[in-house]
Amino acid sequence: MAPCQAPIPEETLLDYWTRDLADGGESDRVEEHLFACGDCSARLNRLAALGTGVAALVRQGRVAGIMFRAMLNRLQRDGVHVRMFWLSPGETVPCAVFPGDDLVVTALKADFSGVDAVTLSISGPDKSSFGQYDDVPVAGLGGELLWATPAALVQQMPSMRLQLTLKSAASTHAELGRYVLEHTA
Amino acid sequence: MYRRLAPRVRLYGLRHLRDEDAARDLAQQVMLLTIEKLRSGAIREADQIASFVLGCSRTMARDLKRREWRREKRRETFMVMDTFESPAEDSTLDADHLERCLARLAERERRVVILTFYGEKTATEVGHELGVKEGNVRVIRHRAIERLRTCMMSRDEAE
Repeated sequence: MAPCQAPIPEETLLDYWTRDLADGGESDRVEEHLFACGDCSARLNRLAALGTGVAALVRQGRVAGIMFRAMLNRLQRDGVHVRMFWLSPGETVPCAVFPGDDLVVTALKADFSGVDAVTLSISGPDKSSFGQYDDVPVAGLGGELLWATPAALVQQMPSMRLQLTLKSAASTHAELGRYVLEHTA
Repeated sequence: MYRRLAPRVRLYGLRHLRDEDAARDLAQQVMLLTIEKLRSGAIREADQIASFVLGCSRTMARDLKRREWRREKRRETFMVMDTFESPAEDSTLDADHLERCLARLAERERRVVILTFYGEKTATEVGHELGVKEGNVRVIRHRAIERLRTCMMSRDEAE
């Protein structure tokens, strides 16, 4: 097979796959090239496989980080078993995971008015860092930040107290709330 | 010819129909029709084949989408709940390693990747959700995918 003489740029291939190229015009040209070119077709196939792999992990609840309510709702519709905990600033809540749980989601309520992005820090015993999420945009969060952790990971944790601190990501680093999770193994 | 073109039709189907089973069905239907046309002599030139296959893929995918749209309307009308079908997972990807690679991304990158592939959202839609400009989403998305690829390859090379 002759190597491709005019490979489709990675960005264009990605835009094509994610439907950021409008149908017709450039999209048609990309398709014509893909049908004639083994190299570019194989590159698109690898990209598609990566995307399918990511979607499968999320669908299994194997994803950590901050998420939206709409995405959480979709995960639940997809059959992911979510264990939820809600915390207001200053609150301490006991938490545990149970057999059958896929994902643990902690909803941190806060007043995000005037804030564009936040930093969430999680510390364990002796103030050891348990993770940090920097520069999380708050647009569309609706007064609560949802922190997701795969249940399989939480199941391996010993009993401990986790302190969560939410701060503005702006230069002021204003504190928006402190929360405590009392985890029981 | 089948080995060369059928995977491309499947990929085309996956891009337009977002369903692995429908994409495989499309590949089978298009290739059957192509073989019939070749046998009957309707296509003679070798360089016509790829363009014929693409044309068939477009027509058949449009029909499938229309049928799916009608089915969806019926489902909405009669409130019949379908069971959710997950697309087939790619067996060549190491899911555990991909999970680690995904965890290594910056929070903003991970959210963009998840909204793109799980949420099936365009850059404009992701931008609306995150309050970020479409152009910035594209930059973040491209960088995140490059990082994921590099991370996945580092494992492949180590093995």
